[in-house]
Amino acid sequence: MLWIAIRMLTGDAQKFYGLLFGIAFSTLLITQQLTIFVNLIERGASGVYNAPEAEVWVMDPVSRTTDVNYAMPSTALDEVRSVPGVEWAVPHLRAVASVRTGTGDLEGVAIIGVDDATLIGMPENMVAETKEVLSQPDAVVIDDGGVFNLFENGEDPIGQRLELNDQRAVIRGVADSIPSFTSQVVLYTKYSQALNYVPGTRNRLTFVLAGVTEGETAAGVADRIEEQTGLKAETREEFAQAGVDFIVQNTGIPTNFGITVVLGFVVGVAIVGLTFSLFIRDNIKQFGALKAIGVTNSKIVGMVSAQAALVGAVGYALGVIGTVTFIWAFSGNPFFKGFYIPWQIPLISLAAVVVILAITGWIALRSVLNTEPASVFR
Amino acid sequence: MALLPQNVSFSRQILPILALIGIVIAAFYIFSDLPDRSTSEPEQQPPKATGALADSARVAGTGLVEPASEIIDIGSALSGLVTDLRVQPGDRVEKGQPLFLVDSRAARARLTEANAAIAEARAAINEARTAQSTASQQLALFRSIDDPAAVSRSEVIRAEGEAAAAKSRLNVARARLSAAQASASSANTEIGRLTVRAPISGEILAVNIRPGEFVATQGGGGGLPFIQMGETNPLHVRIDIDENEAVRLQMGAEATVSPRGAAELQVKAKFVRAEPQVVPKRQLTNSAAERVDVRVLQVIYALPESDDFRVGQQVDAFIPAVDNGPRAPVQSTEVEEQE
Repeated sequence: MLWIAIRMLTGDAQKFYGLLFGIAFSTLLITQQLTIFVNLIERGASGVYNAPEAEVWVMDPVSRTTDVNYAMPSTALDEVRSVPGVEWAVPHLRAVASVRTGTGDLEGVAIIGVDDATLIGMPENMVAETKEVLSQPDAVVIDDGGVFNLFENGEDPIGQRLELNDQRAVIRGVADSIPSFTSQVVLYTKYSQALNYVPGTRNRLTFVLAGVTEGETAAGVADRIEEQTGLKAETREEFAQAGVDFIVQNTGIPTNFGITVVLGFVVGVAIVGLTFSLFIRDNIKQFGALKAIGVTNSKIVGMVSAQAALVGAVGYALGVIGTVTFIWAFSGNPFFKGFYIPWQIPLISLAAVVVILAITGWIALRSVLNTEPASVFR
Repeated sequence: MALLPQNVSFSRQILPILALIGIVIAAFYIFSDLPDRSTSEPEQQPPKATGALADSARVAGTGLVEPASEIIDIGSALSGLVTDLRVQPGDRVEKGQPLFLVDSRAARARLTEANAAIAEARAAINEARTAQSTASQQLALFRSIDDPAAVSRSEVIRAEGEAAAAKSRLNVARARLSAAQASASSANTEIGRLTVRAPISGEILAVNIRPGEFVATQGGGGGLPFIQMGETNPLHVRIDIDENEAVRLQMGAEATVSPRGAAELQVKAKFVRAEPQVVPKRQLTNSAAERVDVRVLQVIYALPESDDFRVGQQVDAFIPAVDNGPRAPVQSTEVEEQE
């Protein structure tokens, strides 16, 4: 009986592909837009993810994200080291500066000063050279997105000289990092070197990165740091979330992407609803005939559900494949660097597809269920 | 659909299978592409509290290694050209050992002059003594003659005067001798002051002068001290403790100290003393322009014998704290804030 329903559905190729297109299109729209949205706002947390060793971030109580920060006195490092449960703590400097390139251009850059001795705070991987190049005099490491922004004509960044706050800086390596929300050029250097590159203010230490002793939780140690030092301490997850929240609160991105997702949903409902209704109406005689030979209403509901399930499954699959192809195709583009599809998003679009089909199927079924068997003769 | 066999339908069979394969590939891609958000272990060991300190209350600080005597900037009492340098950086010197000599030709010339004056004074004394003895013999001769007519009265007066004059000439010559001797001794003192000696036994840490350079009593050129020395056995380490943490510090406890960049080289340092004065912190970059408002308590610890520490090196230190609990809030300020 269900096979008959499937044959009935695929018999009309135009309407079948129309339905597939509707579902595939809304799946693609919802999945792809949500993916870009999630990845875009996660850029707010890239600073946190680029320092893979830090389990706890300690900052001044008014600091909000890795980029919205307020510096602390240099002894904050010792205060954090004094807290039980802190295995290690290292200084971390984040500041903005203007850099003058060899060609004389001025560019705003983010300076990240990592611990001199251990280089904690550097991204885990390097594209070119090793982290140890920072021990060379006046060495900085640029992020791979920064290479694209600063050297548009494809020059080799290694060995390029820059001028920072009247000081010489030489690019010695390229780090493999997740770009920030603004895709700003990032220069990594040693903490003591960064102090020279950033114009002097009294306090410079913006963050203290801390590790947690075995057997302690990051959240527990963060609470203890707050209690003992009066500074603000956040775990890696909390601080990443703070970066995301900051973008959500301060930009129109969620609204814009929300509108697109709703549009995708509406388009899906409209196309699928219309086509499905038309399809059912066309086949109303067949349903009448089935009723006349004694097929029950519940059997008919089952048949329509089977049709909806096939359309939904194939259309959804096409939509997801489309999104994956899109992300895969653009993975080489610096703007899309680090983009991934969170596994929750296909599930959300699956739920959206189910809702679309449930709504349209229910509307279409109403007429079938009310059909008199006699209608076949009319 | 003519391309397909008779009983196979594209839309009923092939399309769903393709969709199924596609979704499996997509799922595989999605799960393999999820970003790695896990934390990683630091590649190099950062400084950390170990042993019993790891789980108990502690105070951390950064410090500088210094000689037990602190660094002595050797000065020069007199200005002049350096003629000889007797030490090199790293030398061990005993107390009183000459470090460098300042040009002493002028002082030596004065010494020669004074010595000549001494010889002259001695000659004058001899001459005066001879004259005195001649005069006194003459006077004695006159006095031994009993006959008053044999010698005139004026002869006797002249002889008496000669004897007195010879005595005072001897006195004058003696005074000139002691003046010349004093001048010689002054020249000797100056020669002594032109030799700069080690004030204590210790190690020469820096030598910033070379023979031929001019040393002024007002410090050297470029503000560098001429020679820096200090007692480096044992080495001390001056640890800065934030004034907010200072109250928790357990005075007298051993500190765990490790040099910068080699956190695994931990040594136990013995407490020596805490400086009575809390001072503004300065040692982060050692730059003169650095402005800070943090005040620190400086605590001095003695390092055990080790080749890993050098004077001026930065260290990280962990010291046990007094209590386990968090600091009690200051009651009076809270009341004020509530008002």
